[in-house]
Amino acid sequence: MISGALLLLVLPLAVAGIVYILLRRLSTLAAWLAVGTALALGFAAVTLPLDQPVQAWGGRQIAMGEAVTFLGRELVFEPSDRMAMAFLFFASAGLFSLAWRFAPRSLFFPMGLGLLSLLSATLLVKPLIYAALFLEMAAALSVFALQAEGRAPTRGGLRYLTFTTLALPGVLVTHWLLERYAVTPDETELLTSASILLAISFALLLGAVPFHTWVTAVAGDSLPLAGAFVLTVGNGAVWFLLLDFLETYPWLGSHPLFTPLLSGVGVAMVIIGALLAPAQRRLGSLMGYAALVDSGAALVALGLNSRLGVSLVLLSLSVRPFGLALMAAGLGGLRACGGGGDLVPDDLRGLGWQAPWSTVAVVFGSLSIAGLPISAGFVGRWALCRALAPSSLGTALFLLLASVSVMIGVWRRFSALLMRPRAPEDRSVISLNPGEGWLTAAVVIMVVAASVGVGLFPQVIAPLADSLAGTYTFFIP
Amino acid sequence: MPTLLDLVRSISFLAAMPAVAGLLITAGILVVARDWRLNVIALTVQYFFVVLLLTRQIQMEVAAVKGLIGWLICMVFYLTERRADVLEKPVEGEGPAPAQRWQRWVMSARASFHLLAVILIAVAAYTAALRIPLPETEVPRDITLACYLLAGLGVLLIGISESPMQVGLGLLTFLSGFDLFYVALEPSLAVAGLLGGVSFLIALAAAYLRTVQAAGAAEEGAS
Repeated sequence: MISGALLLLVLPLAVAGIVYILLRRLSTLAAWLAVGTALALGFAAVTLPLDQPVQAWGGRQIAMGEAVTFLGRELVFEPSDRMAMAFLFFASAGLFSLAWRFAPRSLFFPMGLGLLSLLSATLLVKPLIYAALFLEMAAALSVFALQAEGRAPTRGGLRYLTFTTLALPGVLVTHWLLERYAVTPDETELLTSASILLAISFALLLGAVPFHTWVTAVAGDSLPLAGAFVLTVGNGAVWFLLLDFLETYPWLGSHPLFTPLLSGVGVAMVIIGALLAPAQRRLGSLMGYAALVDSGAALVALGLNSRLGVSLVLLSLSVRPFGLALMAAGLGGLRACGGGGDLVPDDLRGLGWQAPWSTVAVVFGSLSIAGLPISAGFVGRWALCRALAPSSLGTALFLLLASVSVMIGVWRRFSALLMRPRAPEDRSVISLNPGEGWLTAAVVIMVVAASVGVGLFPQVIAPLADSLAGTYTFFIP
Repeated sequence: MPTLLDLVRSISFLAAMPAVAGLLITAGILVVARDWRLNVIALTVQYFFVVLLLTRQIQMEVAAVKGLIGWLICMVFYLTERRADVLEKPVEGEGPAPAQRWQRWVMSARASFHLLAVILIAVAAYTAALRIPLPETEVPRDITLACYLLAGLGVLLIGISESPMQVGLGLLTFLSGFDLFYVALEPSLAVAGLLGGVSFLIALAAAYLRTVQAAGAAEEGAS
C-alpha cells in the first residue's frame, strides 16, 4: 500500500529526475511531463478519499490518508491539507505550461518539481516546526531555478535564501519555548518571546516590510517564471503554514497586538509598494512591488481576524498565480525578444509589435495583480475593500489607490512597448519574434481567458476559499 | 592505535574558551579576507572548533558527523573556487605588475573597515552573552558567546557582501552559531540530519552561483 503523503513527496522528485534528463533533447515532452505530474497530483489531492484505500496500477493500493514516518517524524495528509495541496499543484501546473513556451529548457521544470516535493513536506510534516527545515531546503533549491541562463548570478535567489535562513531559528526555537511553557505555565514571558520570534520569522518569510527586499530582487533579476513560482507557490506554502500555526496555537490570534500588527504591516506594504511601483524603470521590479502590494492586502485581510478575513486571504492566494504567472511569462517573452538582458525603457520601445503575445500577457497579468476589473485579482481586492469600508475606510482607499498606482507604472511601460521603432526603415515592416507563434498565442489566450473568467464569475472560486476558511477556527467568532 | 575518542580526549582542553577564540579568529578571517584559499582554510578550521564545542553538548559520533558535513562543504567550496580561478584566470601577460604584487600584503581600506566591524560585533556578542544569556541549564556561558559571535559575524558577512561565495560562507557561519545553541535544546538525529542537509544545500547553491559568475566572467573575457 502506498501512503498518500509519500506519493506527494516521492513522485515529483522521481519525475524531476526524468524531466532533467529529457530537458535538453525533448524539451516539450519534459515540460508536459512536469505539467501532467502536477495536474495528476493536484487531482489526486482533491478527489481521492482519505479514509479508504484506492486501487491503483498493478494491484497496488493508494491510501491518501495513511501516515508515513520519515526520520522519526510523521507525515500525514489531512482533510485540511486538501485545498492547500491542490493550490500548490494546480498553480505549478499553470506555471509549467507557461514555461513550456516562455522558458523552455530551463532548470525551472526539474527544480520546480523538486520544490513541490519539499513544499508538500512542509505542509504535511508533524510537528509543525520541522516545516521550517523543509522550507529552508526549498529556498536553497529554488536558487537553481531562479538563475536565468546566461545572466549574472541571481541576487534575488541569494536574498531569498538569506531571509529564509534568518527566519529558521525563530520558528525552531518557538517550539522549544512552547514546550517549556507547557511544563511551567507561570512563565508567561515564554509566550511573549515565542510570539515575537514567530512574528519576525513570518515577516521574513513573507517579505513583509522592512524585510521586503528579497521580493523585489526575486522578481527583478531572476528567471521571471521561477520568480513567479517563488512568489505564488512558495509564498502560498508559507501562508498555509502561518494559518496552521495560528490554528495550532490559538493564543497567537487572540493576542491583543495581533490585529493592529498585521493591519499595520499590511498597510505599510501596500503604501510602500504603491509609492515605488510607478517609479520602477524595469518591468521585473514593477512586478515585485505589485506582489508586495498584494501580500500587504492579504495581511490586512488576515488582520480582520474573522472567517471573512481568512476567506479573503485564501481567495487572494488562489487568484494571485493568474496575475504573477501571466506577467512573468510576458516579461520572459519580452526579455527573450530584447536580447535576454534587463529591459530598461529604451529597450522596450516598439517591442510590443515584435512580441504581441508577451505584451498581452504582461498587460492582463498586471491588470490582475493590480486588482483591476475584468481580471482574477479584482475578485479578492474588491471583496477586501468592501469588507474594510465600513470599519476602516482609509485602508480601503489606500488599497484602491495602490491598484491605480501599480497600473500607472504598467501604463508607462506599456506606452513604451507600443511606440513605433525609431529608425524609419524599421517602421514599415516589423517582423514577429519567432517565439511568438500560434502555440504561444494559444497558451496565453487560455490563461488570459481563465483569468478573465474568474474575474467575471467569481462564484467559481469564492465558495472554495470560503469552505477552506471554514476549516480554520482560530479567529475571533 | 588511538581511537577517535582518544584523539578528541587529548584535545578536549581546547573545547572551551580557546575554541571560542579560535571561532572569533576564523570567522573574522572570513569577514576580512577575500582570498578564497584563506577563506576555505578558515572555514575548515571553524568547523573543527564547532565540532569541539559540540562534543560537550551531544554524543561525539553525532558531532563528528556534523564535522564531516562541514568539511565536505569546505571541499565543495575548494573545488568550485579552483574551477572558478581557472575560468577567471587572466590571459598570460595581463596579470598584476610586479610593482603591484606587494600590495596584497598591505591591508586595504575595505579590510580595515571590515576588521573594525568584526571587533564591534565581537564586543556586541560579548555584551549580549553577559546581558542576554541563553538558558544556562542547556547552554554553558562560553558556548553562548560562541553562538552570538558566529551568528553576529555570519550576519555581518551576509550584509557586507554581494558575492555568492561570501554570502554562502556567511549563511553557513550563521547556521553553525545557531546549531551550537539548538543541539542543546533538540539533540534528535532527525534535526541534526535535516540541518546538515540544509547546510549542504546552501553550499551547493552558493557554489552553483559562483560557477555562473565565473563562467560569465570567462565569456566576457573571451568576447
